[in-house]
Amino acid sequence: MRTMLLVDMDAFFASVEQRRNPALRGRPIGVIGSDHRTVITTASYEARRYGVKTGMNIYEAKRLCPGLVLVIGDNDRYIHTSEALKDLYLRYTPEVEIYSVDEAFLDITGSCHLFGGPLEVGRRIKEEVKGLFGINATVGIGPNRVVAKLAAELSKPDGLRWIKAEEVEGVLADLPTEMLWGVGRRVSERLRAIGITRCGELGRAPAGLLRARFGIVGERLKALGQGREPEARDRCGEGVRSIGHSTTFPRDLCSPAEMEGWILRLSEMVGSRARRHGLGGRTVSVVVRYRSFETFSRRKGMGQATNDTHRIFHTAMDILNSAGLKEPVRLLGVVISGIEPVSGQVPIFEEQRRRAALLEAVDGVNRRHGPFTLTWAPCLKRLRKGVIAPAWRPSGVRRSL
Amino acid sequence: MNIVISRDELLKRLSDIQSIVDKKTTMPILGHFLMSTGESSFISATDLETAIKEPINPAEVKEGGDLCIPARKLFEIVKEVEGDVSMESEGQEWLRIGAGRSSFRLACMNPDDFPKWPKLADSISIRMGSEKLLEMIELTLYAAGESDTRYTLNSLLFHIRPDVKRFTVVGTDGHRLAAIDDTVELATDREMKVIIPRKSASELRRFLSSEAVTVRMQIAPNHASFVIGDVEFLVRLIEGTYPDYEQVIPEGNEKRVVITREEFIKSLRRVSVISRERSNAVKMDLSPGLLKISASNPDIGDASDEIAVDYQGEAISLGFNARYLLDALNALTEEKVVFELQEPLTPTLLRDGRQDYRCVIMPMRI
Repeated sequence: MRTMLLVDMDAFFASVEQRRNPALRGRPIGVIGSDHRTVITTASYEARRYGVKTGMNIYEAKRLCPGLVLVIGDNDRYIHTSEALKDLYLRYTPEVEIYSVDEAFLDITGSCHLFGGPLEVGRRIKEEVKGLFGINATVGIGPNRVVAKLAAELSKPDGLRWIKAEEVEGVLADLPTEMLWGVGRRVSERLRAIGITRCGELGRAPAGLLRARFGIVGERLKALGQGREPEARDRCGEGVRSIGHSTTFPRDLCSPAEMEGWILRLSEMVGSRARRHGLGGRTVSVVVRYRSFETFSRRKGMGQATNDTHRIFHTAMDILNSAGLKEPVRLLGVVISGIEPVSGQVPIFEEQRRRAALLEAVDGVNRRHGPFTLTWAPCLKRLRKGVIAPAWRPSGVRRSL
Repeated sequence: MNIVISRDELLKRLSDIQSIVDKKTTMPILGHFLMSTGESSFISATDLETAIKEPINPAEVKEGGDLCIPARKLFEIVKEVEGDVSMESEGQEWLRIGAGRSSFRLACMNPDDFPKWPKLADSISIRMGSEKLLEMIELTLYAAGESDTRYTLNSLLFHIRPDVKRFTVVGTDGHRLAAIDDTVELATDREMKVIIPRKSASELRRFLSSEAVTVRMQIAPNHASFVIGDVEFLVRLIEGTYPDYEQVIPEGNEKRVVITREEFIKSLRRVSVISRERSNAVKMDLSPGLLKISASNPDIGDASDEIAVDYQGEAISLGFNARYLLDALNALTEEKVVFELQEPLTPTLLRDGRQDYRCVIMPMRI
């Protein structure tokens, strides 16, 4: 039986800002992406008490919490802190998976006895995080990542909870399904429609029924309801229709040339994620959101299914260059669709084989050391700028549903 | 312009140009064709990548002149009318069409705005039989890429090598390749590699008959022209570098298998019933005297088939996209084919008795 530990920073961006500027401590603050942006990225716990939430626009947030202090986020600082935290975690186990900028899974199966057991590891990590960074962290421990995540959800903020394997069933029995990692409101509503509201019910529901309703995801849902970690989707990739990433720029951009670095970066995020899952797409779409929030997308086929960053990038640039942009752009997205498993077809030309080998090597480095550790130069310029979503994580994609 | 022309003549000429006329009206003039009448009359159409010019024979030319006429609409009109068709321009804006008791008026465009037919400077000229060029295109086009981001692959390569008096046509999509040679006499000693867009090659194919007509090919740095009888066909070449195809054609693969082509095709078709939904991967296990072809698909099941082959070497297993093998086998014609292999992941060569045609197929990882 494994022992997984999740460390989840409480209101991470806000906590970092409060740590940096003592004047902000104890006050409701909202972190925003840039002074051109109006969406709250993270709210401090003081602000959350007023109902301020991630994704809310500042006008609504100010209405709920008139004393709200807005702070422009600084990704350099968050990433720096995140990296420093990783070093801390590595003192407890070599098996650290940075899941997002403020969450990390530690596999402490083999190492927790050295520190006096799982709860003691959790307590020490919390203490050190507080001591070194002044941030409250919640630690959830369980036999797998799903349960560890749930333990953290149930005990935050500033919590510590260990759900042992034998306790899982009891904990889940009466828990609403939306508490589960990766079960959103929409899925919960669809579950409710077939009479399932609690995790216990979900775990016992016939796989056939769930499969009929949700496709391949149904089986994953059943596993989640039982507190099991669903098998990674990497194996088959069925049910995946598209893979995409989008970003809102720190300020609106006007010409495709200015967007090139961003497109490359998004293409790499899409490409590396597709490669990890052994999938490729036949079509590239670019999503453009104008300053006015008018949003549209354009698509273009690529002939054969591919997950090669460069081919995605060039196709996306072609689309952008021929789109005839009419207004400054605030958000861009790159999506591949027409997803199919990439075959083991070997390219005939040496150059293509070398390219495939290069991508494989880059992916290997980035899997180990975090995304964009090894990347194309134009990506570097952009790497530390712009808004990162709280869901940011180095490896680019969440493995939940 | 004021002419009378037989309906059948006009219909035939118009149907020739329909697939070249641009359907997407990015530039309205490309939805039109140029009609030029006088002592010699011709029509011309282009999508800026391919252009065609062919003579037209009016029964009577009362007054010569040029006009840009909507290609699709005129074609639709001519299909519906009967008897001789009279065409009379009103300035450069209108065309009056009369046939029997029907009459039409079509808005036209200024012929001066129609793209000019380029002059081919610095060209070399090759003459060859129409049926030969047709064969060369047909045996390579299937292997060419289609809407690939590496745009030079969506094409055929025409490689002219005066040093060995050879003209080679190559098609590849980056996974398989087909190359065919012809011997030509050239009045130049300049080697040329030109890239013909896939769409142009497939249009050109329609005009190449299997009759013994001579085609005059003229190849310039930016364009290639093909004169087939009285039709002139022009292609704008793709700029860029075609991959080094000669390097990937394996010479001296040591494992040689002789297989009855028809049996090989049937066996692959049977097994790919199971494999075709996905990457169409089939596994081939070759041992002395026997080729086993198998496929498995976790959603459906599996299949295997065996054929007796002429093979003496050591056993080898490798994977292929069955589609690629079938395409190549269908392009070959002789009863027996030779399959030359080396390692599980190195290029393989499929050919029959003729030495001028080679199909290279890259294996799959299985």
